[in-house]
Amino acid sequence: MDAKKAARMEKLEVESADLMKQIRIEMDMKKKQKLIAKRESVQRKATAIRNNRRISREAKRDLVAYSFIAPNFIGFAVFTLVPIVFAFLLAFMKWDGNNTMEFVALNNFKRLIGDTFFVAALKNTIIYVIGTVPLTMIASLALAIVLNQKIRARGFFRTVAFFPYVASLVAITAVWSMIFHPSKGPINYLLLNVFGVPQANLPKWFGGGLVLFTLILFSVWKYMGYYMVIYLAGLQGISAELYEAGSLDGASTWQKFKFITWPQLRATTFFVVVMLTINCFKVYDIAIMLAGGGDGKLSISSTVLVYYIYQNAFNYWDLGYSSAIAMVLFVLVLIVTLIQFRYEKKLGE
Amino acid sequence: MGNNVSTKKFKSKERNKIAGKVGVYLILLIITAIMIVPFLWMLSASIKSNREVFLMDPFVWIPEVPKWDNYIKIWTKIPLLQFVQNTVFLTIVVTFLQLLTSSFAAYSFAKLEFKHKNILFLAYISTIAMPWQVYMVPQFIMMRGMGLNDKLLAMICLQAFSAFGVFLMKQFYEGIPNDLCEAARIDGMSEYRIYLKIMLPLSKPALSTLTIFTFVNTWNDYLGPLIYLKTETKKTIQLGLKMFIGQYSAEYGLIMAGSVVSLVPVILVFLCLQKYFVEGVASTGLKG
Amino acid sequence: MKKRLLGIFLATTMMATLFAGCGSAAAETPAATTESTATETTEPAAEEVAEAEDTAQADAAEPVTLKWAIWDKDITPYWEALKEAYEAANPNVTVEMTDLGSTDYMTVLATELSGSGSDFDVVTIKDVPGYATLVSKNTLEPLDSYISSAGIDLSQYGGVDKQVTVNGSLYELPFRNDFWVVFYNKDIFDAAGVDYPTNDMTFDEYDALARQVADPTFGAQVYGTHYHTWRSAVQLFGVLDGKHTILDGNYDFFKPYYEMVLKQEDDQICRNYADLSAEGLHYSAAFSGGDVAMMNMGSWFISTLMANIASGEYDASLCGNWGMVKYPHADGVEAGSTLGTITGLAVTSVSEQKQAAFDFVNWVSSAEGAKVMAETGNFPALMNAEVAGIISGLDGFPQDDTSKEALNVSNLYLEVPYAENVSAINDILDTYHKSIMNREMTVDEGIAAMNDEVGKVLGQ
Repeated sequence: MDAKKAARMEKLEVESADLMKQIRIEMDMKKKQKLIAKRESVQRKATAIRNNRRISREAKRDLVAYSFIAPNFIGFAVFTLVPIVFAFLLAFMKWDGNNTMEFVALNNFKRLIGDTFFVAALKNTIIYVIGTVPLTMIASLALAIVLNQKIRARGFFRTVAFFPYVASLVAITAVWSMIFHPSKGPINYLLLNVFGVPQANLPKWFGGGLVLFTLILFSVWKYMGYYMVIYLAGLQGISAELYEAGSLDGASTWQKFKFITWPQLRATTFFVVVMLTINCFKVYDIAIMLAGGGDGKLSISSTVLVYYIYQNAFNYWDLGYSSAIAMVLFVLVLIVTLIQFRYEKKLGE
Repeated sequence: MGNNVSTKKFKSKERNKIAGKVGVYLILLIITAIMIVPFLWMLSASIKSNREVFLMDPFVWIPEVPKWDNYIKIWTKIPLLQFVQNTVFLTIVVTFLQLLTSSFAAYSFAKLEFKHKNILFLAYISTIAMPWQVYMVPQFIMMRGMGLNDKLLAMICLQAFSAFGVFLMKQFYEGIPNDLCEAARIDGMSEYRIYLKIMLPLSKPALSTLTIFTFVNTWNDYLGPLIYLKTETKKTIQLGLKMFIGQYSAEYGLIMAGSVVSLVPVILVFLCLQKYFVEGVASTGLKG
Repeated sequence: MKKRLLGIFLATTMMATLFAGCGSAAAETPAATTESTATETTEPAAEEVAEAEDTAQADAAEPVTLKWAIWDKDITPYWEALKEAYEAANPNVTVEMTDLGSTDYMTVLATELSGSGSDFDVVTIKDVPGYATLVSKNTLEPLDSYISSAGIDLSQYGGVDKQVTVNGSLYELPFRNDFWVVFYNKDIFDAAGVDYPTNDMTFDEYDALARQVADPTFGAQVYGTHYHTWRSAVQLFGVLDGKHTILDGNYDFFKPYYEMVLKQEDDQICRNYADLSAEGLHYSAAFSGGDVAMMNMGSWFISTLMANIASGEYDASLCGNWGMVKYPHADGVEAGSTLGTITGLAVTSVSEQKQAAFDFVNWVSSAEGAKVMAETGNFPALMNAEVAGIISGLDGFPQDDTSKEALNVSNLYLEVPYAENVSAINDILDTYHKSIMNREMTVDEGIAAMNDEVGKVLGQ
């Protein structure tokens, strides 16, 4: 090992001296600089060997690490990071996708304030988030606690609860629009014939004031299975000893939940709430499919931010304005996430 | 437990337990019904005629004369086979690429030390909180500039390199003891071999979880294909189904048959992988 | 070192993509530059050829392939018919059709034509808002010079061309012109023992007739009328007096018609909007279901009805015995005023063979194309007695005189005439139409909101 090292050192030194000679002779400044750089690298190599190859091994290690990351990162950088930067820039531009771009500073954002449709979309989105997040969280937690007990056919129940999440939105919203059909659907049929709701008062699930409620109901139904699985995983991480200790202290079921389960699940709940919030702000396809009618257009009572982003981009080709709305969406998500981070940290202390 | 009092207590506890169990099952049955009735309705409506679908009095799950030909008709009314092929192709390629590149990158993040590790990982993490809808328009313009508009390849580029996959796999790999890798390194194994021979075989639960998520998301994606895929021969099953519903809005039986067809593959994949699923979520740190 | 590399890499990709994205109009890529020079060189040559009388022979030597954007190829009979007829007349030309689907056709088309990368020569223009978008994006070629050199007399389009002229230039030639009529199901009227509607009805008479023929019995419900969920089906009764248009900015004239339709809903004379919207019910499904007595709809539905009844797709026992009459009219307004929608063809500004493309556009919108259109049961923009004769003579067209007479239109108002911001106005009217019909707003509130919002757009 050492002999090898010495031989390699010698070789490098010879090379270095040789290069030095060449540098002295060389007149062309550019070539000279190149040679100097080359000599420096040779000397670096020599130093590396002298210092037990530490730097060179580090470089090699970095190279290996990067080679692992590269396939994903290149795709990620090109198709995600670059568009994100582009989106930020676009929010300050006026552009129709074909003619030349024009810098308009904050005009797009100023326009937002007076825009009835934007305000409505913002309001509806926020109502939807406020309605969906806590309901889904509670439902999925309750379900997870029930399904974490030793019961028969547990696997079956878990699978069934996860079904709606797996099911395609187009298919499942088609079913929902039939089941909740205002005049023919089985839900309203039951309300009419079993619960005696007068025909004139039967709820129009997809119109008017009820539409957001229906959207929330649907979302809870569709996504609770997903978050249930996450809670289930969280529950399995709680050591059984804690519960045993609780039982010995004579804690009731509610007390056990309050003093063991809930605090132990704090990290999980944090994760669930953050993911839920992000996902809820993105609502678009649910609204289009449940409330869009035949032409896929949303009225003022069901319009949401992403719909308005889409409209401005692909119908009016007002790409700058559409990006400005997207920025509002981003900032909203960011703020809510940060608040949750803070809250979680505070609880942790 | 030797004396009388505690036996009594024990018995009443037992009774409470049984009552509790009954209660639990009752709740479960109700929830299961809520979860599964729409699917049963879908199956039932898919073999009914238009009039029978909304017939409530009397309501039957299986009509006297089931219209099985709904399942034959849908293949001819729209190019469903083409849609299915496109979707299957997309889903398989995306899932494969996602699994491969994410687990590859995640190994590096979890088990190797290198320069700028934190910055790179932060780049990933910060985009998880960024809804795709925020940058979908610039992304589309960029892709169109690359000539990817109306190409299935665009959908692959769009979905194959998610930050979510890297994050999920990284969390999982961090749960695997470092000793395993160190031992292998001392044996002179290269990092690539460690990844291939040690990590990959251990990551079945995480890979299954990621497969389910990616498969479900790609299969069911609507907005992405809506923006990118324009020609009918390139459309996915979700777009096709939506188009079908638009054109044959009153053919309830057919719509439901189409929906059932679109559900079968995802449900199958889920059922095959679900035994790893909870374990996978638990070990990938998705729980937070 | 690596840091720098990564930085350079990131910077270059970002630059590259930004360029690819924003520079498209300026033709920054070599490919686009060659494209535009190619156009410059071929254009004069093509014009010379056009000027020479023996076009056919000169063209025969040079094969031309035109790419044409259309929708719903399988269920629309005339695309294929037009293509075949044109190829037969011009053997050197091959027309390649690309089906972009009808659902979001204009959106998809606008996407295709933005920036570089599109290879369409001829595009079909489905509606005026979409047309306005394409024109403002500079993606269509002004046709004026071609029109004058081909010597086309625009007056043959009966003034419709003026409603789509943009700053004195025309960017499309109409080849199809649909107008709205009232379809009715004779069997339902027979069963109810009610007289058929006529070509001269006031709105009151129409409303009374609908109420007479309707039967709200649960389970055997018959609807007197059916209004599709489009705003045109309700609002635009109001523009038939010729005094108002949807570009007005004041929509108080919609009120009586909203009230009529909402009252009909309340009395179960027609299906209610909430149901239709929940189901996304297609108008063809509504009419062919055999429980709708009258439905106002565009004349494009004629060929759909005839074809689907002939093929057995629609149950002939439910809707086979149909007829049609002219639109009802307000008191004191002449019968026969109706709404129209034109479909046009345009040449793209990126096309490398604009003259050949225009020749095709010209042919389709000329008398020859009109004949092909009529033979498939569709209404060409060049409407005359001969064309009307062809259509009413088709197999499956109702043989009563009233239905034939219904084809004679006295005044045609475009559903949406051109205006610069017509796209935004259109969407505002759509949105509040939904709100009114869903009963989220009263008629007055809805109309007030329309006035406000459109006022903002017009004020800009």
